[in-house]
Order: sequence, then structure tokens, then C-alpha cells
Amino acid sequence: MIPKLCYFLKLLVFIILNNLILKLKLNIDGLLVYFPYDYIYPEQYSYMLELKRTLDAKGHGVLEMPSGTGKTISLLSLIVAYQKAYPLEVTKLVYCSRTVPEIEKVVEELRKLMDYYTKQTEAKNDFLALALSSRKNLCIHPEILHANIVVYSYHYLLDPKIADLVSKELAKKSVVVFDEAHNIDNVCIDSMSVNITRRTLDRCQTNVETLQNTISRIKETDAAKLREEYSRLVEGLKEANVARETDMYLSNPVLPDEILQEAVPGSIRTAEHFVGFMKRFLEYLKARLRIHHVVQESAPQFLKDIYEKVCIDRKPLRFCAERLRSLLRTLEIADIADFSAITLISHFATLVSTYSKGFTIIIEPFEDRTPTIANPVLHFSCMDPSIAIKPVFGRFQSVIITSGTLSPLDIYPRILDFRPVTVASFTMTLARTCLCPLIVGRGNDQVAMTSKFETREDFAVIRNYGNLLLEMSAIVPDGIVAFFTSYIYMENIVASWYEQGILENIQRNKLIFIETQDAAETSMALEKYQEACENGRGAILLSVARGKVSEGIDFVHHYGRAVIMFGVPYVYTQSRILKARLEYLRDQFQIRENDFLTFDAMRHAAQCVGRAIRGKTDYGLMIFADKRYARADKRGKLPRWIQEHLTDGSLNLTIDETVQLGKHFLRQMAQPFRQEDQLGLSLLTLEQLQSEDMLQKIAQIAQQA
Amino acid sequence: MDEEPERAKRWEGGYERTWEVLKEDESGSLKATVEDILFQAKRKRVFESHGQVRLGMMRHLFVIIDSSRSMEDHDLKPNRLTSTLKLMEYFVEEYFDQNPISQIGIITTKNKRAEKLTDLAGNPKKHTAALKKAVDSTCVGEPSLYNSLNLAMQTLKHMPAHTSKEILVVFSSLTTCDPANIYELIKALNGLKIRVSVIGLSAEVRVCTILTRETGGSYNVILDESHFKELLMLHVKPPPASSSSECSLIRMGFPQHVIASMSDQDAKPSFSMSHLDSAGEPELTLGGYYCPQCRAKYTELPVECKVCGLTLVSAPHLARSFHHLFPLEAFQETPLESYEGERFCEACQGELKDKSVFTCLACKKVFCVECDLFIHDTLHCCPSCMQTDRTS
Repeated sequence: MIPKLCYFLKLLVFIILNNLILKLKLNIDGLLVYFPYDYIYPEQYSYMLELKRTLDAKGHGVLEMPSGTGKTISLLSLIVAYQKAYPLEVTKLVYCSRTVPEIEKVVEELRKLMDYYTKQTEAKNDFLALALSSRKNLCIHPEILHANIVVYSYHYLLDPKIADLVSKELAKKSVVVFDEAHNIDNVCIDSMSVNITRRTLDRCQTNVETLQNTISRIKETDAAKLREEYSRLVEGLKEANVARETDMYLSNPVLPDEILQEAVPGSIRTAEHFVGFMKRFLEYLKARLRIHHVVQESAPQFLKDIYEKVCIDRKPLRFCAERLRSLLRTLEIADIADFSAITLISHFATLVSTYSKGFTIIIEPFEDRTPTIANPVLHFSCMDPSIAIKPVFGRFQSVIITSGTLSPLDIYPRILDFRPVTVASFTMTLARTCLCPLIVGRGNDQVAMTSKFETREDFAVIRNYGNLLLEMSAIVPDGIVAFFTSYIYMENIVASWYEQGILENIQRNKLIFIETQDAAETSMALEKYQEACENGRGAILLSVARGKVSEGIDFVHHYGRAVIMFGVPYVYTQSRILKARLEYLRDQFQIRENDFLTFDAMRHAAQCVGRAIRGKTDYGLMIFADKRYARADKRGKLPRWIQEHLTDGSLNLTIDETVQLGKHFLRQMAQPFRQEDQLGLSLLTLEQLQSEDMLQKIAQIAQQA
Repeated sequence: MDEEPERAKRWEGGYERTWEVLKEDESGSLKATVEDILFQAKRKRVFESHGQVRLGMMRHLFVIIDSSRSMEDHDLKPNRLTSTLKLMEYFVEEYFDQNPISQIGIITTKNKRAEKLTDLAGNPKKHTAALKKAVDSTCVGEPSLYNSLNLAMQTLKHMPAHTSKEILVVFSSLTTCDPANIYELIKALNGLKIRVSVIGLSAEVRVCTILTRETGGSYNVILDESHFKELLMLHVKPPPASSSSECSLIRMGFPQHVIASMSDQDAKPSFSMSHLDSAGEPELTLGGYYCPQCRAKYTELPVECKVCGLTLVSAPHLARSFHHLFPLEAFQETPLESYEGERFCEACQGELKDKSVFTCLACKKVFCVECDLFIHDTLHCCPSCMQTDRTS
């Protein structure tokens, strides 16, 4: 009896305690939002307001808010609340993130939110959330239809090959969120581009032979099956068409509308004919790869050439992808991965014959860096990111694009070709200025510091870069991350520093680790780097903008007390693919080459320096070591939350001035900082949030572009 | 490269907008605010009343002074080393003033090594002399946090459990060159209940944050020289003793100072025992303190007897330590306008002119700000309470 009573009492105490935990219930513009934390940042509130507005208008939105300010939970709690309040307006949340760890983080936050909901409403949670982390867990078809929240990677929605399997049945009334979306245009382009090497063709050849064998075997055992397929193909792809017209499926860029209305052309209707057709196409591609100089042509040119050389018409080419899929299904081939090469080729065939604009074909006989080694590649390169994302914008009522770095905000709607209803940038409210952006333009000898092509190999520039790193290594505690514009430039500079003895001096202060193109080596270096930061020796990580480190690795607290960006990380402009893309942007979207290049460089620079600040209790120096950053056209393209702290006094500094400012900043930041200091300023309780002044202040956080 | 720009850096350290604090009063005079600022400065000393907290009165403190290359930085004038050593001298004096039966030792670290400048001892003179001498030493190489902590630990671990074992690190460098995993050492320090505090001269280093957090010490980074001094002075007061530290009775000797009169024919000048190991010229003296147990002679107190190991102190020393155990409660501050009563200070008998007066909570007598500071910092007891005690 007594133990039972004890247990009961314990339970009671537990329940009481649980209810005592103070969490927030917010009123966002008339919507009750459950927020699973005790405090809220003012910018989170502002963010939710804008988000609500976007959902109300059933439109798309572009929202920029610095990392570490709780974007994810703001998004989740508002959209879930919206779903609960208006279940008929929004049926599903599709949350797309970039990497597996990011997806895990989202799921963690979601779990917290759901716990809070169950506790508050004391009702059984009828929400189903689903996270897809790896390609292996693809067989979830029926479930995805019922889940209220789906969390997965971009590719599930953007890559036509995967999207067709996973996402085509998503309801129209879904809200799609692209988190960390600053690179979304590149993801779109990559998902539509095809690179064909000799190896691909060889593997394709094997695929074709396997197909042929299977077909002849099946013909002997089960000829009816093939006949059945044939008659289905005569009927055409009506089924798919009906589904799309009744608005059940997300359209697929590889399966354009027109071909759904037609029957599969006779020339590839039987299995043998199709295989023969593929063989011919393959031989043609092989011939095209046997070249000695670079060829660049448009899709119509390619089609004309293929018609002249091997008499392949445009029409059967367009059906290639669909025909292959049908064949693979008929032959009951289980392991599709083995047929990736032929699938790739068939996609290429369909795309090249479908889109006359937005793509270019470049055949290079060798890589630029190794002109003696023949390694022919056919780049079928997409230049228009809007092609891949168009179905997404077209289908779903609200698409939210958000990241810590989306500046300048107006360029994303232009290159992705959509009309947002809200475009806003939020700054970080800080109780103390925890970021310190500095632009270093000169060495102590007054020689300008820049990675401009003409002067980058200059002895004085390299020496000044070395001196900057040396001086910083003496005043910055624990970890420094330095970014270079490219691997080659990093190699050159480091070699030169070695000769000048700068490296040796740096090593007295900190250990040096280098990111390489080898993933295993890099993760090893990262691990040792973190160890050195942890045990007080201090370390410098030399890495490359656009590399693995710059995109996916966070350097919280002592792992990154300073980030140095050596030079402006322009993309390699001599690449033919890039040139073609720039030309396309100019012709189609009236975006000047230079504007795009600068935008692209600055978003990568912002990504790099943003690695060090991952929250309000974190702090770090952001050093831009190139005089070109001081120019308004560069500076203006940095995110607002960085620009805000760039005063006139921190432009075009010398190394010495930087050291002085850095020392001062680091001492200030080392002073005790507690949560109480933040309360009321950058961290709010419910009461504080409701005060008049604060609401006014919050209104200023968001800046409409 | 170093000298020239350094002199030019005065204006870059951020403006001190001293004029913004000043405000004119109705008559346009600045006098009132200036007085106010001066008054605030006087009162700045914070009274951290521990209440009834056990304080570690017998302290064994090792000060580790970083003497690596980074100590040559000129951001403290004339450089970090000189400035630090000067402040250390002041610290040692203050330390013995407030902790008379405690001991201190100094360790320096440079070139990846650690060496003892002075061993644990209870006499300020030796330490001050060593610190004065160290000014001329060169600063080279990297410091080793591990080696110096280890060196301090080797000595401190033999200290009895009732003493408060502390290490204070003045850390200038941002790197440390360690022969082994420092986290193992931190665990060992924690196990031995050695409290490690760090004063950083440049920025916050992760390993120091962990070190101080794990061992229960404090970690501060200086802003400038005056802040440095303030932070050092925080370590003068004895820290609260950990509840697990043992209580035990300590044998102590209270030798009387005896001077053999010159008229006494038998009187012979003799050496002090403390000269045994000092390199200085031994002096022959007539008088001294004689250990009550073994009659060994010493010229200075406090000291641990070299012969029998008895702690020799003088009674006033011990009495002063006593004050730290029962600190005088802070007086109540009331504005002068609302104070009704006679307008003179109980202690100095001067007229009460400052804008606040201070009332002792026990005897309700009133003091001026100067006397309040004197009473709390030096006397450690309320003079009027003492008087009433005696009369009653």
C-alpha cells in the first residue's frame, strides 16, 4: 500500500513540477503559437510575424536571419501552429535542409516542440512527422502522404531523379521551407546538369549488353510480358497525364507536359528496338568524345548534328528516360543502382531534346590543368536554376527560402524566377557587440593587400598576408580559421611563407592545419585542430572558400575566435561553364556578369566569416583581408547583420591597427557575461515581449528589401 | 616595428568619453558632479560580506608568473613583465598583511619549462627581493601551463588538509606547450582540492576556463593596468573554505622578543637560524625571537622553526587573521539629508559633510566615509562597539 502511495505522490510531484516549467505561449498577429523555450529573442518574434504574413498571403518568401538566433524553432513553431489553427489551409510542412546533421538538428527541435504541445494541450498528439535522412530509406511512399511534417534534403524535392520517387504526391497545400538556402541556385543547377565521361559510356555499354541479354531471356520464357508493355506504350503515357491534370503529382522537369499527351514513338516501342536505339546513341556520344579541341554548342545544334550523323530524331530522344524506366520495370530489375549509367544517358537524351534554352553542351578533351592527359568530358550544363525549381514554386502555395546569408535579397527572386510576397532581412539584437568585422586593406608598409589577379603573386602582398596571420596568431586565443580563394592560391602562398620563414614564426604561437581536397585527410586535420584548440596549444586551420569546411563545419566558441578571409573568393572565371552561365544570366535576366560574380563571391565570404559566430554567447573577429571589401559595392552585399557592425573606423585598416582593435575586442569579450545581462535586451520573457517599447523595437529589426 | 607604432596607439584604444559623465547643475557649476565622482571612487571598494562562511585562513598559495615571449608586449607600461612584477610586489605585501599565517611561493614559466623563483614561505621580504631581481630576466619561448601547475602541485599536495591550497596563474601567452594531457592534471588538482585561479593578460583561453571551472577558482581577463590591480586584489582576501576541508588543532609558538641587555656580560651576538639557507651575508645580532620549544633563534616572524617544525607567530599577527573570520559587518549607508542627529563623526569627531553617513548596525553610532573605509579596511572592528564592550 505504502509504496504505491509513494509512487502516486512522486507522480503528482512530477506533474506539478512539469507544469511549473515556464514556456511561452505567444500571440503572433492573432495566432496562438506554442514556443518551447522560456525566453524568446526579439528577432524570432519578428521573424514569425513576417512568416505569418507570408502564409496568410499564400505566397513565397525570402527571409534572412543570422545563424544562432533560432531560425529553425521559429519556423517550426509558427508553421505547426498555423497548421493546427487552419488545418484546411495548410496541410503539410515540407522542411528541406542541406546536410544530415542539419536534418537531425531540425528533428531535435521538432521533438521539443511536440513534447511541449502534448504537455500543454494534454491531448494525444495526432501530428506525424517524418524525416528522411539517407537514400536508403526511400520506401516510405504511403506514409509520406499522411505525415504532417516532412523533413528531408533538398535533393528529394529538386533533383528530378529522386523527386519523382519521393515527392510527387505531396499535396498542393503544403508549405515548403528551404533552410540554409544561400546556395539553392547551385543545387538546382547541379541537379539538372549531366557530365559524361568515357567511363560513364563504358559502363553504359555494359548496361546495354545486360539489358539485351535479359530481354532475349525473357522473350524465351515470358514473351507475353513484353507484348503487354508494348500495348501499354501504344496507349501512351495517359495515366501519368491524368494524374497530373487532376493535380495529384508534382510535375517533373524531365518529363515535360507535351510528351504525356503523345504515344511513345514506334521506333523505340519494342524492347529490342529501344536497346538498338540506345546503342546507336551511345556510339554517337563515343564519337563525339573523340576530339582534340574544345567544342561548345547549344542543344538545337547538338540535335541537328545527331540527326545528320546517325539519323536519330528529336522525338524518340525525348521519350528516352520514360521508355527506359518502363523497360526496367517490365524486366523486373531490382537493383537500379547498377543501371545508373544508362539512366544518366537517358536523362541526358530527354533533357537535350526537351529544352532548347537554358542549357549548353561543352565537350572538353582534357582538363585545363593537365593538358597532356586526355580525359574527355561532355558537360551538359544547366544555366538556369529556375528550370529545376519551377515545379516547386508552381505547385506549392508557400515556399520559404531562408538562410543566415541571403544578401542581396533581391537577386534570389531574379535568378530563381519567382515573385515573393515578403522579402526581409533580420538583424541580431545583441546585449554586447559580439562580432567585430574588420577590413584590412594595407600592410604596415602601406602596400595594398588584395588577391586581385594582377598583384596576387606579388612578394609584398604575400608577405603582408603572412604578417597579418602571424600577428593575429599572437593575439587571438585558441582557434583561428583562415580562408583562401582557391586551393592553388593557398598552396602558393603557404609555400612562399615557408621560404620566408613566416610559417616557423606562426608555429611558435599556434599549430597549423591545412584543408585538402581529400575528405579523409581534411577530417583528420579538423579533429586535430579541435584538439589543439581544446588543450590550449591553439591552432590555425587553413582552408578554402567553397570547400567542405566553409560550407558545413561550425566553429563555435573557442574553435573559432577569429576568421580571416584572405582575398575575395571569386569563382574561377576562366571556366567555360561559368562563362556560358554568365552570358545566359545577362541575356535572360539582365544581370550583369560583374554583379553576379560579386554577389557570388560575397555570399561565400559571408558564409566563411559566419562560421565563427553561432549564437549570441559566442564571439569572434571577422577579418576581411582585401582592400576591395571596403568598396561600397562589395560591402553592400554583405548580410545586414554584419554590415551593421562595420563602421567607417573599421575599413581599410593596416595590420597594426587591426591588432590593436582585435586586442581590445578580445579583452572586452573575455569579461564575464551572464544570461541576466541579455534579459530584456536580446532575450525576452513573455511580459517583456508584450511591452509597448519592445514591440516598437521589434518592428525595426526586420528590414524589407 | 614595435616601438614606433606603439607610441601612436593611444587614440585607437577607444575614446574615454570622460566629459560625458560631467553634467552641469542648475547654477551651471560642475562642482557637484566632480565631488560625486570622487565620492563614488572612494566607495568603490565593494564590501563582500561573506556572512558566517568559513574562510580558509591558513593559505598556501603558489603564484605562477608567465615569463614567456608575450610578456614583452608593451600594452602595459613599460612592458607586461615589469608591470606584473611591480603589481606582484604590492600583492605580496597586501597578502601578508591580511593573511599573516599564510605562505606564498612564486613560480615562473618560460621556454616550455617551469622553475621556482621562491619556495613556499611566510615572509614577504624574500619574495619581494626575488621579484625585484626578476625584472631583469629575459622573456623567451612559450610557457608551459602543465609543467608549472605540476611543479606547484608537487609541493602543495604535501600540505596538511586544513590549509587552503591555491594556485594563482598570471597568464599572458595564448598558447601553452605541454608534455602531457593537461586534462589529466586538472583532474588530479581537483582531487587534491587545489583551487586554481587565472588572471589572463590578453584574452580568454579555453583551457583556462576549464581549469578554473573544474577546480573552483576564478578566471578574469584584464582590461588595463588598473583593472589588473583590482583583479589581483580580489585574491588578497581569503577564499571561503570548502566544506570538506578538515578541522584540526595546530601547535603554534608565540616567542617573545628578547634583547639581551648590553650590560649583561654573558650576552653574545649570535646568528639567526633563518640565515642557514639564505645566500645573503649572515648577521650577528644580540636579540631575537627564541622558539619556545627548542630555543632556536629567529630575527623575523612569522616563520616555521627549522629545528622542530613549530609554527612561530606573534599574537598580533594571529589577531589580525581573526578579523577575516569574523569580518565587520558593512555599515548602513543613509543620505545626509535624512539623517537626524548630531552632525559629527563618532571616530574622527569631524563634521559630517559628505552626502552619506554610515551607521554601525550594532551600536548605532555614525561615521563619515573616510572613517568607514578606515574601519573596514584597516581596523576591522568598530571603535565605539569596543568601547561599550569594555565599559559594560
